[in-house]
Amino acid sequence: MSIIDIASLSAREITSGIRERQFSAREVAQSALDAVARRDEAVRAFLQVTPELALAAADKVDSAVASGEPLGPLAGVPIGFKDNMHQIGTRMTCASKMLENYECVFEATCVGKALSAGSLPIGKLNMDEFAFGSSTETSAFGTTNNPWDLERVPGGSSGGSAAAVAAGMTTVTLGSDTGGSIRQPASLCGVVGFKPTYGVVSRYGVVAFGSSLDQVGPFGKTVSDVALTMNAIAGHDPLDCTSQPSAVDFTSNLDHGVEGMRIALVPAMIDAEGVEPEVREATYEAARNFERLGAVITEVELPHAELAMSAYYIVGPAEASSNLARFDSIRFGHRASEAQSMGERYDLSRLQGFGPETIRRIMLGSYLLSAGVYNEYFLPAQKVRTLITDDYHRAFEKVDAILTPTAPRAAFRHGEIQDPTAMYLSDMFTISINIAGNSGISVPVGLGKDSGLPVGVQLIGKHFDDANLLRVAAALESCYEIDRVAPMARG
Amino acid sequence: MALSEADVRQIARLSRIHLDDDRAARLTVELNSILDSLQPIKDVDLSGVEPTFHPIEGLVNVLREDAVVEPLAREEALRNSSSVEDGAFLIPTILGGGDDA
Repeated sequence: MSIIDIASLSAREITSGIRERQFSAREVAQSALDAVARRDEAVRAFLQVTPELALAAADKVDSAVASGEPLGPLAGVPIGFKDNMHQIGTRMTCASKMLENYECVFEATCVGKALSAGSLPIGKLNMDEFAFGSSTETSAFGTTNNPWDLERVPGGSSGGSAAAVAAGMTTVTLGSDTGGSIRQPASLCGVVGFKPTYGVVSRYGVVAFGSSLDQVGPFGKTVSDVALTMNAIAGHDPLDCTSQPSAVDFTSNLDHGVEGMRIALVPAMIDAEGVEPEVREATYEAARNFERLGAVITEVELPHAELAMSAYYIVGPAEASSNLARFDSIRFGHRASEAQSMGERYDLSRLQGFGPETIRRIMLGSYLLSAGVYNEYFLPAQKVRTLITDDYHRAFEKVDAILTPTAPRAAFRHGEIQDPTAMYLSDMFTISINIAGNSGISVPVGLGKDSGLPVGVQLIGKHFDDANLLRVAAALESCYEIDRVAPMARG
Repeated sequence: MALSEADVRQIARLSRIHLDDDRAARLTVELNSILDSLQPIKDVDLSGVEPTFHPIEGLVNVLREDAVVEPLAREEALRNSSSVEDGAFLIPTILGGGDDA
């Protein structure tokens, strides 16, 4: 048993505790590893635990403390990485048999930056295979369980990243979000999950799903921890030509409040079919809280948002089918040993290596990009993308942030949603933000009145106005007295 | 326009994924159901709308300095391959074998 318990501590409390020598980074690492040992058999958030790497990183922080060297912004903070991120010294599987034995030979920029900021890498986190899913059930290595109710899913695709924080096994984690894969699991696990504006965080070394939609972002127990992590990972990267320079301190105006800010509801989203009453109520309650804080609550229309789902399930699979063409069994990846010819080797290796949802998306994407079909689906989808983006631009001329539910319902049971198109509805409120490239964050607002499970609301911000979106999120967070780890991680 | 099983087999060839009969039949149903759900995109009037291929506008090409950087070492590049010989990836014969690849 370790001296401290990281489950109850924020990243800020950990960094200041280490600076003030209340405890050592090694004690923090040990506490996180103990928590994994105690709770991950039930939660199964980790695909790989990396005690040697965590303890080595901790010792580096401790010797910096001892010698009075400057400490990074995440010094001594336990972190975990979604298993689609290259990290030297680990395997990276993308939760796929295709990459079961893949050993990282280079490092994702976001991972490298988080580690040079002094964080302690606890392990690699489960996900839907290649991030195709909203429940972490498509992982080839078994699903992750929601720490609030082990019979339910943690959401997805970054389910392991959300569950690890909610179970108090790490303090922050990184995930990736192509259509809601950070925000939806954050909502279902009762933690904060932030998808920055497209381009704020480098995608280099994160296995690509939809290259024009993917964005890396942090999970944490508090908005402040998420902002702190953003300071470590944001910025231009010569290795990702879509990444943007960042000169922002994401933590600088978190306590500035929302007085006079205009925050909009989208009536068509709140009233959408399939939204549970408890989710609707929680969203209105969040609006009332903003009003109490002095914000002006207004309404905007996003008339083309209802087309986002169709556009996404065209653009996403099209880009994914192109990106996943690299898994040819030659340079890396599963190889069908019985294959006689080159053609057989491709066809059998890909059949054996990919799970059913991955095969569906690749097939769909190949079809949508094939001759003659392109003009029927892909091109119209990209035109719809213009309409959706214009909707957001128009809305943000009038308001500072948009408030919606994050997901239509709280965590569902394992196996409850079998139909792929029904599962896709989990992301009905998050997808249009990736289509338009804006930032979005899920903030926990307590337990649902009917389900007793965590519910989150989503806040959407302007392009590259990420620091202000975090400020709005921090203001909302201040209205709630809620537990940020699941009961299993308390006491 | 519904996809036939023959269409699905053709898509599998394009995707380089082997399909047995069972899976081809199942995927025919699933892909048609997904395509049905994409119908809204075909019903909307998009005349005069330009496509957006990238969410962030105004990006300009930036060229890095033409400097030599350390590449990935050969043994590292080969480390994850299951068939390597003499410092190279080893693949089945692709010429003269009557193969479709």
